[in-house]
Amino acid sequence: MSIREELNQWMLENLTGEFEQIRWRGGPGDEDSSPELRRAWEQKFGEAGWIGLQWPEEYGGRDLSLMDFVEFNEEYARHGGPGRAGHIGETLMAPTILAYGTEAQKDRFLPGIKNGTELWCQGYSEPNAGSDLSNIKTKARLEGDHWVIDGQKVWTSLAHESDWIFVIARAEEGTKGRDGLVFLLVELDQPGIDIRPIHQISGTAEFNEVYFTEAKAEAGNIIGEVGEGWKIAMALLGFERGASTLGQQMMFQNELNLIIKTANANGRAEDPSLRRRIAEAHAGLKVMRYNALRMLNGTQDGSTSKEGYISKIFWATWHRDLGELAMDVIGADAEIIENELSPLQKLFLFSRADTIYAGTNQIQRNIISERALGMPKEPRGTTNG
Amino acid sequence: MPPFPFQEDHEMIREAVKGWLSDWEDGGKTLHRMAKEGQGFDRAAWEGFGRDQGMAGISIPEQYGGADMGLLGRTVIMEETGYTLFSAPFFSTCVLAADMIEAFASEDDKTDLLGKIASGDIIISVLDGREKLSLKDNKLSGTLSPATDAAHADLILVAAKDENNYVVLTGYSPNTAGLSVTPYASLDPTRSQAKVSFENVALSDGQAIGKAEDVTFSQTLQIAHGSLAAECVGGGQRCLDMTLDYTNQRVQFGRQIGSFQSVKHKCADMFIALESARSASYFAASPDLDDDLSAKFEAALIAKNYASEAFFKIAGDAIQMHGGIGFTWEYPLHYYFKRARGNRALFTSSEDGFQMLADQIGLKSHASGISGD
Repeated sequence: MSIREELNQWMLENLTGEFEQIRWRGGPGDEDSSPELRRAWEQKFGEAGWIGLQWPEEYGGRDLSLMDFVEFNEEYARHGGPGRAGHIGETLMAPTILAYGTEAQKDRFLPGIKNGTELWCQGYSEPNAGSDLSNIKTKARLEGDHWVIDGQKVWTSLAHESDWIFVIARAEEGTKGRDGLVFLLVELDQPGIDIRPIHQISGTAEFNEVYFTEAKAEAGNIIGEVGEGWKIAMALLGFERGASTLGQQMMFQNELNLIIKTANANGRAEDPSLRRRIAEAHAGLKVMRYNALRMLNGTQDGSTSKEGYISKIFWATWHRDLGELAMDVIGADAEIIENELSPLQKLFLFSRADTIYAGTNQIQRNIISERALGMPKEPRGTTNG
Repeated sequence: MPPFPFQEDHEMIREAVKGWLSDWEDGGKTLHRMAKEGQGFDRAAWEGFGRDQGMAGISIPEQYGGADMGLLGRTVIMEETGYTLFSAPFFSTCVLAADMIEAFASEDDKTDLLGKIASGDIIISVLDGREKLSLKDNKLSGTLSPATDAAHADLILVAAKDENNYVVLTGYSPNTAGLSVTPYASLDPTRSQAKVSFENVALSDGQAIGKAEDVTFSQTLQIAHGSLAAECVGGGQRCLDMTLDYTNQRVQFGRQIGSFQSVKHKCADMFIALESARSASYFAASPDLDDDLSAKFEAALIAKNYASEAFFKIAGDAIQMHGGIGFTWEYPLHYYFKRARGNRALFTSSEDGFQMLADQIGLKSHASGISGD
């Protein structure tokens, strides 16, 4: 049986009962919906053996080929599989541990990701380290058998639903920029950590501020060496451009289908300019899929191919435009909120974040011009630090 | 490893074609010569490329004498000819005409005409006269313009609708009584355009190639047009290459202008447009789509329209990034800008193409008889 058929059968049998209500829910912009149910779903999913399929067999994976993993993600999304509470752990933390972690770290952390019991969030951005990410101020010092961490992270997605956070911190006094950083694994449920939600444009609060006041992490919970934090942090971001983007695209397709349905129902499908914009959105989504296939087929070794650099800015801009298109298709009625924001209203508001987080469109253009096109580097300021 | 989705043999063809076309370009002199001669057609070069190098038969099936390299094979050729604006009827003859003949002609005509196309011994111009030609008493009347590559065609393959709304495909020698071909100067001097008039031209004076249902004909036509996406990708790549070269060496304010963010971001946008057009083009040529006419049709619509919009934007941005020099006749960017504009308008305009795509994805229209609100 192909992986697609296997999953199809399992989804038919298991995305039922109480889980029906989270079908198609919990994707980007909707991550605040039913957190308890989605956590339960993650565990059910893990117990069934669906997490970590691409991992080597010795760590409980199935060494799944890339194209099979693509099929798997598409099949999941085709069923309207709920946004995965464990996606940061599976798609970012696990590959990083597999690539750079010790055997002890693999034994300690992979099972929790694999069985869906330990959820992760990402502690990168700080109030003064956004686009200029290496301007990290959070400090870590080793005291006996513990790291002690002081500082603040911000824009931490789903920290309030997570068990662990991976943190970049400055371990060597007096260092600047990319030097002297460490990559630490920190348990969230402890007195030294305070999580405060950020209320967003959408009225929801997926993002948080995370304050560290003498927070502790075991000495062994460092990936790589002291001073290698930047290298590990960047390698982790490389895993972001993986096959999971294809699953995300199925969510996008669902949103586009909803827009087409709306346009046909309210008659705006006949407006030539809206017709064209919807057709262009459809074309853009197909292009996005083939971009991803080219990217995934081009770099089996994990490095980024030239065309891979367009992935983030392309989907983010496409998705933000889709939000605007959705509102234009609904027209004046989009001003009305009935009970709660509709999925398309959420799309419109939350997609403003897409072109900001994980590297703004402006930063993406710098990266493309410097790394894909080899243009001269941006001069660096001197007031950093 | 060849880039996805190509195989080794495609890359060998690409290298060979690249080298040949680079010689043809002659360091930029050839495009100026084409403009001066004003025909948009380099016959000697076409004979060398299509016949002697065997490129005319690249995607013609083996049983008719071709190399049988399918849509990916022609994508390679179109990309490289787009990169150099090779002024020859590869698209008209080896893509458009070949597809029509393969889809609608009898086995005998296929053996004859596809054989001649494969060996580079015939130039065919395909004209879609479904809207503008009248077909009464088995006679064609009307004027078609612009008619790409008709000025030097050995055979003019024209589509017209009969009284039952069937598409009738007929091949004419340009010397046929009542048929006149008037060459035009073209805004894009690297492409040949003409006006073709039919004055009571009898169907029986031509070669009956075949009949098709309108929908099937449209889909076959659009699938062939999809190959123009590759030409747009090649042309766009050239514009970006020239822009990167220029912005790297041009110094203002004591810096390479390519170090300014406004220039870098514009180049990044050109790259995004180019690589997504490339994805659209490769998707439309993907072997995965074989045997699914409707999926191929949709992919071709996306490719042609998406890539021609991208090429036009890239070519325009390239002129802007070059400053004054991009505006001169001497500098070759304007040829690409003009080709880009032509690709948006010819062989189904982008506007019409996106409206067709809207139909294809199930958006209701006035034509489908559904009223609003």
